[in-house]
Amino acid sequence: MGILARTSTLMRAKMNRLLDRAENPSETLDVAYDKQIEMLRNVKRGVVEMVSTKRRLQLQAGKVQDNISKLDVQARKAMGMGREDMARLALERKQHANTELQDLDQQISGLELEQEKLTKAEQRLQAKVQAFRTKKEIIKAQYKAAQAQVRIGSALSGISEEMGDITLSVERAEDKTEALRAKSGAIDELAEAGVLNLEIDGKDDISRELDKLSANSEVESELAALKASASEKKSLPEGQS
Amino acid sequence: MIVRILTEGQYRLPGSFIDQLNEIDNKIVGVVEQENEAEFRKLLSEMLDLVRNNSNEVGMDELVESDIVLPEPDITLIEAEELFTGEGIVPD
Repeated sequence: MGILARTSTLMRAKMNRLLDRAENPSETLDVAYDKQIEMLRNVKRGVVEMVSTKRRLQLQAGKVQDNISKLDVQARKAMGMGREDMARLALERKQHANTELQDLDQQISGLELEQEKLTKAEQRLQAKVQAFRTKKEIIKAQYKAAQAQVRIGSALSGISEEMGDITLSVERAEDKTEALRAKSGAIDELAEAGVLNLEIDGKDDISRELDKLSANSEVESELAALKASASEKKSLPEGQS
Repeated sequence: MIVRILTEGQYRLPGSFIDQLNEIDNKIVGVVEQENEAEFRKLLSEMLDLVRNNSNEVGMDELVESDIVLPEPDITLIEAEELFTGEGIVPD
């Protein structure tokens, strides 16, 4: 059996699970319609979830971008103070943040693509559900005619196949959104732990070190000034000490 | 005949393409066995494009059952393997 036959079998299995026929054909149609409406709601919810996950990732990307700029400034500042080790540390972190940002950007565009697909699927289902609603009323009106059974069959299997396919689309979209949400949560945790060099108490370790350095250099320069004035005194005419 | 590409939609494809589809299908069975990811991707898009490029899309408000169902475009080799080992077909 090839992949075509396997996929078709998979589809039929999904369809049969959706199609539970009631004794009364008009009841079957109404139950099927209720299911379609419920599914449409699920798809819409899926799209909303994707949008919110995307926003969250975009927010994180923004933060990482800010971080990159900050680390860049820090690296320059450290270098200006002659602290190559600190500059190196800042640049290493910048490199790491850059990778993180690329990763996030890739995920965001992947999610956008997925969202577009699911939105299209939603529109398709919406149109089909509407068509089914019209058809089911016609079939119900003609119920006594001999053709009714056949019509129910084809309309139902047509819509059930669509629903089976949508189920698959929603499952895939949910899996992807879930994976990204987990990833996004992990980034938040790392940020909280300070691993992603986001600020702790408003300042990160590099900033603190740089502050200490500039405080030190102020002390040094004042000290130097004191020394200078002291030696000036020393060089005054002798005999006064 | 009506062909569905999973997660994408339905197409009306002339029946004369069935042989070409089957031919690619047979090759896919081989590359999935060999776990050849690159060749799998190539054949899969070849198959999907054959349908997309030679058919008309089924109207949004049409309710028809498909004669053939093709896998979703982003199916992975692993998922295809599962499909072949039967794990994908067992209902939940």
